[in-house]
Amino acid sequence: MFVINCPYCGPRDEHEFGYGHEAHIARPTLEQQGTMTDAEWANYLFLRTNPKGVHFERWVHTKGCRRWFNVARHTVTHEILKVYKMGEPKPDLAPSALAENNPR
Amino acid sequence: MSAQTNRLNTGGRIDRSRVVNFTFDGKSYTGFAGDTLASALLANGVRLVGRSFKYHRPRGIVTAGAEEPNALIQLGTGARTEPNTRATQIELYDGLISESQNRWPSLTFDIGAFNGIIHRFIPAGFYYKTFMWPAKAWLFYEKFIRRAAGLGKGSTEVDPDRYDKLYHTCDVLVIGAGPAGLAAALAAGRTGARVMLADEQSELGGSLLSESTATVNSQPASNWVNDALRELAALHEVKLLPRTTAFAYYDHNSMSLVERLTDHVGPTPNQPRQRLWRIRAKKIILATGSIERPLVYLDNDRPGCMLVSAVRAYVNRYGVMPGRRIVLMTNNDTAYRTALDLANAGVTVPAIVDLRAEVTGPLAKAVREKGIEILAGHAITKVHGEQGVKDVEVARLSADGKSVTGSTRHISCDCVATSGGWQPTVHLHSQTRSKVKWNEAIDAFVPGDTIPGQNFVSIGGAHGVFDLAACLTEGYAPKRHRKSSRCVRSGSSRPRSRSVRAASISLTIRTTSPPATSCWRIAKAIARSNI
Repeated sequence: MFVINCPYCGPRDEHEFGYGHEAHIARPTLEQQGTMTDAEWANYLFLRTNPKGVHFERWVHTKGCRRWFNVARHTVTHEILKVYKMGEPKPDLAPSALAENNPR
Repeated sequence: MSAQTNRLNTGGRIDRSRVVNFTFDGKSYTGFAGDTLASALLANGVRLVGRSFKYHRPRGIVTAGAEEPNALIQLGTGARTEPNTRATQIELYDGLISESQNRWPSLTFDIGAFNGIIHRFIPAGFYYKTFMWPAKAWLFYEKFIRRAAGLGKGSTEVDPDRYDKLYHTCDVLVIGAGPAGLAAALAAGRTGARVMLADEQSELGGSLLSESTATVNSQPASNWVNDALRELAALHEVKLLPRTTAFAYYDHNSMSLVERLTDHVGPTPNQPRQRLWRIRAKKIILATGSIERPLVYLDNDRPGCMLVSAVRAYVNRYGVMPGRRIVLMTNNDTAYRTALDLANAGVTVPAIVDLRAEVTGPLAKAVREKGIEILAGHAITKVHGEQGVKDVEVARLSADGKSVTGSTRHISCDCVATSGGWQPTVHLHSQTRSKVKWNEAIDAFVPGDTIPGQNFVSIGGAHGVFDLAACLTEGYAPKRHRKSSRCVRSGSSRPRSRSVRAASISLTIRTTSPPATSCWRIAKAIARSNI
């Protein structure tokens, strides 16, 4: 069970939160939707980065403030490296710091 | 009702004023408060307590703790019956009902033992559906083959008991209340930190409960344990959790533990039976100790074959003789202290069989002065006795230690205790996906680097430190662990436990010296174990 530091409420146990999958996915505009191929649609709908390392993802504080926010989590160590609000840009976590976090 | 024939007249931490009645396989026995089912059975001279899974080989009590592989017992009756409980972990209470498993019609006369006679034709991995031919016959065989599966019997009724759960947080969670764990809890507790100390046993003290000679500050070790427990109980922020097993280490330093609330007093309808604790700690200290390794020889699963540490615990902690004549086999110094304890308790030790070619030092000297023979450079090759050890065969090891030479010698005995060194209990460490590393000096895997994101440290026996003084020092001042600063933290900073140091610790007899590496492998080569 993680401890997630909700940007609105502070650190809470994982069971208070809901998971919202990968963040920062570029959604097609109305115009693009008209011209997208099946392969592009499939890519948008189904293909995720699924990294071994830092994963940027969305969480919602279901049993608290019920607000959405973003989390950068290491998928090997489950360290939560950064918590930031919706709409903020993807943080630039230095690659050296990430390599250090990866036990291999 | 039979008398406790193997009970020593004095000694032990049992309460002799409180007699406890229990039954095993329908027969009534008595024990004392403070006994486990295993120690009470041994006190009553019961050696055969179960049968192995496939060949139905007779099995007895091997250890005195959680590592027990053989003494698996069916506990209780009706809706409360529970299979495969370890006799070494069951606290005795009045009216306890226990039964052996995997035998029919009785433990001493077991039809299934026929499998052992034909073991050459049904080896490990034997495919039982071989019996499907001819097709009709399977319907006949199936009943017997299906019945052979499993050891005990689960209840088919609804569980009548209630179970509790509790979430908790603390600054320091200490797992294991042996010398290192107690010292760590004291050091952390004195700083005012919120400390929780969990141990799976009913009494806190770990290995010191079976200790006879060690001293701390020139006082018996048990005094130190009592003082430590008194001080911890008086500290407001310290919570002691006896009878609590830590079984899972989850992400972000959270630990799951199960506390047995009423299992030691029997069915108590108005109280929860067990409690699940989910504790999140800022720092976790793993002081889980170490487990003794057995040595191997032919038929080393016969009732009466035990670990040296178990014999020591039964004699010193429970006041029970596991046998009248106990042969010890070892590759390290552990057995020598036990031999002295046995001699002091009036148990005959015909010989110590030591795999090492030369045995010197104060312990060996003390043992020789007691008139105990030391057979250095020898090994036990075989034990005799179907339902309990009757004698052992001892042979000299060759110069290279890879085989035995010369004629064998028989030594009559009713118990064999072996010690093949110690293995740190690294399970919880490994559950965090932290790696273990090989330590050549003690011939064992010890905890390696801690994975980032978790904040814990292994100390004492769990860290491969077997010396009491060193364990206490580690407990009082656990080394600073790798910081996991990127982990999201809350509240105040980690409590400091460095400020307190072990003032002066002296020992009359030091604990284990490094085991002889090669001997462990030799023993493997000269003997085989049984399934």
